[in-house]
Amino acid sequence: MPAAESKENISHRLLLPGSGARYLYFNTCQIDVRARAGHGCPPGGVVMKIHGKIVTHYLSCTSPVDKEGYLYKKRERNTTYLRRWFVLKGNLLYYQERPGDRNLLGVIVLEGCMVQACETDGQFCFSLVFTGPGLRTYRLAADDHLSQENWVSALLCASHLYLSMIVKDLERCYKEARKEKGLCDLIQTEETSDNTMASRNTGHVYFGHGASVVPRDGRSYSTGSVLPSSTTNRPISYSLQPPPVSFKTNNKRSPKLWPKRNAHVTPLNSPAPSYGEWPVVGFDPLEEFSKLHEYYGNEIKELRADWLKKKREEMGYIEEDLIDLG
Amino acid sequence: MRFNEKELIFLSRQPSDRSAELGMRGPKRGDVVKRRLVKLIVNFLFYFRTDEEEPIGALLLEQCRVEREDELVFSIVFLDEAERKYLFECDSRTQCVEWIDAIMKSSYEFMRKNLIFYRTEIHRLTGKDPLEQYGISDETRFQVNTGLPPLHPPLP
Repeated sequence: MPAAESKENISHRLLLPGSGARYLYFNTCQIDVRARAGHGCPPGGVVMKIHGKIVTHYLSCTSPVDKEGYLYKKRERNTTYLRRWFVLKGNLLYYQERPGDRNLLGVIVLEGCMVQACETDGQFCFSLVFTGPGLRTYRLAADDHLSQENWVSALLCASHLYLSMIVKDLERCYKEARKEKGLCDLIQTEETSDNTMASRNTGHVYFGHGASVVPRDGRSYSTGSVLPSSTTNRPISYSLQPPPVSFKTNNKRSPKLWPKRNAHVTPLNSPAPSYGEWPVVGFDPLEEFSKLHEYYGNEIKELRADWLKKKREEMGYIEEDLIDLG
Repeated sequence: MRFNEKELIFLSRQPSDRSAELGMRGPKRGDVVKRRLVKLIVNFLFYFRTDEEEPIGALLLEQCRVEREDELVFSIVFLDEAERKYLFECDSRTQCVEWIDAIMKSSYEFMRKNLIFYRTEIHRLTGKDPLEQYGISDETRFQVNTGLPPLHPPLP
């Protein structure tokens, strides 16, 4: 039974009177937020379901780990430090008893915390201080000074907020650098032309490095999924030249001569690609896909009609379709 | 599995650019559509009962796939389990497209790849490593050849 649905639990949530976007101060001291599995209904506790399987899957998937190693973690209501294996990935800090343990003890989401190093009795400690009313401070300790330093610097740049700030800044620098080189703007505007859609590799539309539209039906998008190996091993961008050909294929025999991109790696010293995969704003793949579908579909229909006609002539009778194309 | 719930709840109550009432349906058979306040903050999708201040759940938006199901509906699939599909009903086509875009771009891994791309390109165009000014050039997480074996042994 999902805990969130029980009436008992609802009484612990604050109810907003009517409309209004005021944040109400919530006295979190009354809440027991110790270990829970993400479901169940402890008395007096607020339960927010974390969907643990998704969190653990992120840890165990193929994307690389940012840092891992043994650290000591101070217990919440105790002075003892327990040795734990920590794994830092993205903005999440996981911990378990030993490496390779299937059972995760816990995870700390690293948003909204300060990282502070402290020297106490020769212990190489540091803290994750969450800033806010009633929020916790995690006290950790490393084996030596170097480890402490490395962990602190790794944790300092681990938050999503930090990363997004850097990315925004780099985006600005990138545009400036391109302007200085006299290169045209890579950013697609709202009026994405048919030209650009049909000119991509069949089924693969890049929204930006690392995210691809999976062409099951042309409408899905993945976040951080495993990319074709050429992308993961080659961070240098593809050179995506717009096709020089028109849409009419001259060769009616082969449907494979569809206009396609030349994807090749830009050599280091050559000019940047004049057309980019970056980012397509206002793009509605549902609309574009049906256009694509229709366009290529018509081509197939024509080819099929040609083929059938030839067959009739050769064989002297009408041959049935092996597949009913409707 | 423990997690810092209080801190996450605090995070969920911060202002968000991407916050709306949507129809939400869980992945289990028998789950029905319920009106929820859905809020995208960093790489988490929080969802609340429409009249409550505290979220009832948080979905980590990593290793997931966002799909357009319909004019107004999008889905998020986790763990490559097609059965574990969460559905979201929007009020307009624009809203649907915008949410898909926002969710996809919110993933930490997506942003990391952007960073690596920009870093590489800026270096190629200017000869300078843009991360030097931040003092984070050597951080493992921002390395260009992430995924390949490290050139030097990992730091202790």
